[in-house]
Amino acid sequence: MASILSGKEAVSFLLVKGSRPTQGARDLSTMKALILVGGFGTRLRPLTLSFPKPLVDFANKPMILHQIEALKAIGVTEVVLAINYQPEVMLNFLKDFESKLGIKITCSQETEPLGTAGPLALARDKLADESGEPFFVLNSDVISEYPFKEMIAFHKSHGGEASIMVTKVDEPSKYGVVVTEESTGKVERFVEKPKIFVGNKINAGIYLLNPSVLDRIELKPTSIEKQIFPKIASENQLYAMVLPGFWMDIGQPKDYITGLRLYLDSLRKKSASKLASGAHILGNVLVDESAKIGEGCLIGPDVAIGPGCVIESGVRLSRCTVMRGVRIKKHACISSSIIGWHSTVGRWARVENMTILGEDVHVCDEVYSNGGVVLPHKEIKASILKPEIVM
Amino acid sequence: MVKKIRVQPIYSTRKSFANMKALILVGGFGTRLRPLTLSIPKPLVDFANKPMILHQIEALKDIGVTEVVLAINYQPEVMLNFLKDFETKLGIKISCSQETEPLGTAGPLALARDKLIDDSGEPFFVLNSDVISEYPLKQMIAFHKSHGGEASIMVTKVDEPSKYGVVIMEESTGQVEKFVEKPKVFVGNKINAGIYLLNPSVLDRIELKPTSIEKETFPKIASEKLLYAMVLPGFWMDIGQPKDYITGLRLYLDSLRKNDPSKLATGPHIVGNVLVHESAKIGEGCLIGPDVAIGPGCVVESGVRLSRCTVMRGVRIKKHACISSSIIGWHSTVGQWARAENMTILGEDVHVCDEVYSNGGVVLPHKEIKASILKPEIVM
Repeated sequence: MASILSGKEAVSFLLVKGSRPTQGARDLSTMKALILVGGFGTRLRPLTLSFPKPLVDFANKPMILHQIEALKAIGVTEVVLAINYQPEVMLNFLKDFESKLGIKITCSQETEPLGTAGPLALARDKLADESGEPFFVLNSDVISEYPFKEMIAFHKSHGGEASIMVTKVDEPSKYGVVVTEESTGKVERFVEKPKIFVGNKINAGIYLLNPSVLDRIELKPTSIEKQIFPKIASENQLYAMVLPGFWMDIGQPKDYITGLRLYLDSLRKKSASKLASGAHILGNVLVDESAKIGEGCLIGPDVAIGPGCVIESGVRLSRCTVMRGVRIKKHACISSSIIGWHSTVGRWARVENMTILGEDVHVCDEVYSNGGVVLPHKEIKASILKPEIVM
Repeated sequence: MVKKIRVQPIYSTRKSFANMKALILVGGFGTRLRPLTLSIPKPLVDFANKPMILHQIEALKDIGVTEVVLAINYQPEVMLNFLKDFETKLGIKISCSQETEPLGTAGPLALARDKLIDDSGEPFFVLNSDVISEYPLKQMIAFHKSHGGEASIMVTKVDEPSKYGVVIMEESTGQVEKFVEKPKVFVGNKINAGIYLLNPSVLDRIELKPTSIEKETFPKIASEKLLYAMVLPGFWMDIGQPKDYITGLRLYLDSLRKNDPSKLATGPHIVGNVLVHESAKIGEGCLIGPDVAIGPGCVVESGVRLSRCTVMRGVRIKKHACISSSIIGWHSTVGQWARAENMTILGEDVHVCDEVYSNGGVVLPHKEIKASILKPEIVM
């Protein structure tokens, strides 16, 4: 007589069967990531006087959310944020996103500066588990298309201990250049701010590391580019992949504005329906669904308008970011600028040339700002004729 | 908490001061005192080694005020945490009244109405939080009772009255005739010092909407001949901006020299009036003063010259540095042989490297200064 398992036995059998790891089934399922958030974000002041840098909006979404969503999309289940400042603000934000996104987000807080590698040692217990899976490390200021799937494939194919993304730049002398063997991508050496041309690929701030890398890092101030990676490279274990698509370090206002252009270009190619369209739209423009735009406006190119914004009639916006809750009054003209949360720009006001308004800044009617950088909670009644900080 | 007993007030036997209340107008963002106010709200910024608002709260406590209401519109959590500390240490009740929309200089009184009046019918004090003075509150109470009017204000003499609101009063009685805002011709040199003693009936004159006490409420009371002004004895300063903060410290220390000189530092390395917290350390060969305040936990290494400056909690000044007419914010450091002068204001956690010069640099928190600042500018 064939034994038929009782219901209870059947369930037990199925559970046991299902939990045995099968080849390839769970490669991505418990991957972890560390995002190096770091310090005070002083280069992005006055915006970072209101929020920690990872929570400053970029293209209508907190900067760090771009990275967390990309990690979630390829199956990362836990993200650790390495921070050293304002943990309470970050943690509150994260609770929101943990539930909305269905990904675990924790903080690892430095009590003393640990450089660019030390934080990995600090977060060791969260990054390494029995699975032996490699983990991602990202610099929080970087935006790109985040080709993580391709990076995982690259990492497996070379079998080395660590992979880094590199990106081509025009002026490599300002950065750390990565010299690689063309065919394999194997990294030969790093040259910091080279005076003569040695190559034009720089560290893009995206790494995929085997847990064994953690054994190389002590819990003290350590530089990943100057100490850890050169060591791994000398053992022929470090490989670099050229980052496809755009790349930008948006940690300062000028690059933030350029970064928005690159990001929207990319959105045009991949997901053009997210961009705004209409007679009043020029080039790539992102408008939050809750924003209102009046008649006779001309918006774009390269503009992002955030939630709850009101753009009154006859407004011209180009190459700028308008953050949550901003009101731009009639006939105003804004270019190459960032307008911070809940600010207002008056009628016929003209704002240009890297004007950065912090939170709750009110530019009066008919005022001109040429590169004014205004701290939060200020009213601008007189024109700013040359770039200066208004405190 | 004392249980209130309802009795008919009998003036001759009542303890006049026993239940007095006070409102301190704290207001907004403190932008003029940036970068210091980027780290904590203005009333908590230290002045002469003590949070600004504590000077006022202690003076009120001294004359028997039992409850202080802070009228604020910004960062209530930070203020409330601070207050819990001081409520217990000082034995005075401190509460907050928070504006949700700007109410001007009189509206906050209407908002806090229920906290300011009770059955005692006692007048209550109103102070502007930026003001420092000797707080002759006892004399003000006596003045108020003697004229029997509805409201008393302190006035102070200034050299340049045209920048302020001038109070015109009858010399002998102090009865206020009128206010003139920023007068273009000379009409008088006494200005509103921001210290008031008001009968509860004044609250009936103020609606809960943006209202100016100087432009609307006081002129009305003056027209009814019920407003009197007393000339403030001693020093007065509005320390809401760095230049006046530094001048204010000089006046404050002058006053301390007269009233309580044992609190000032002494020694061969001290020149003029200098206040040094007991936990601060000063090295050898320094010359400190005049008009310097050094806060808790500071370390002033050897050979340092400090004059006309404030050094806040936890600052380290390294060897041979020279600082004048400046404010060094909490936990900052100034390097060896560095020179800081001419209204240099360092925010919290600013580090000036060795041998660097700052001429009026205004530096936001968490910065390192590696290159000299040759002319006054903001470093963000």
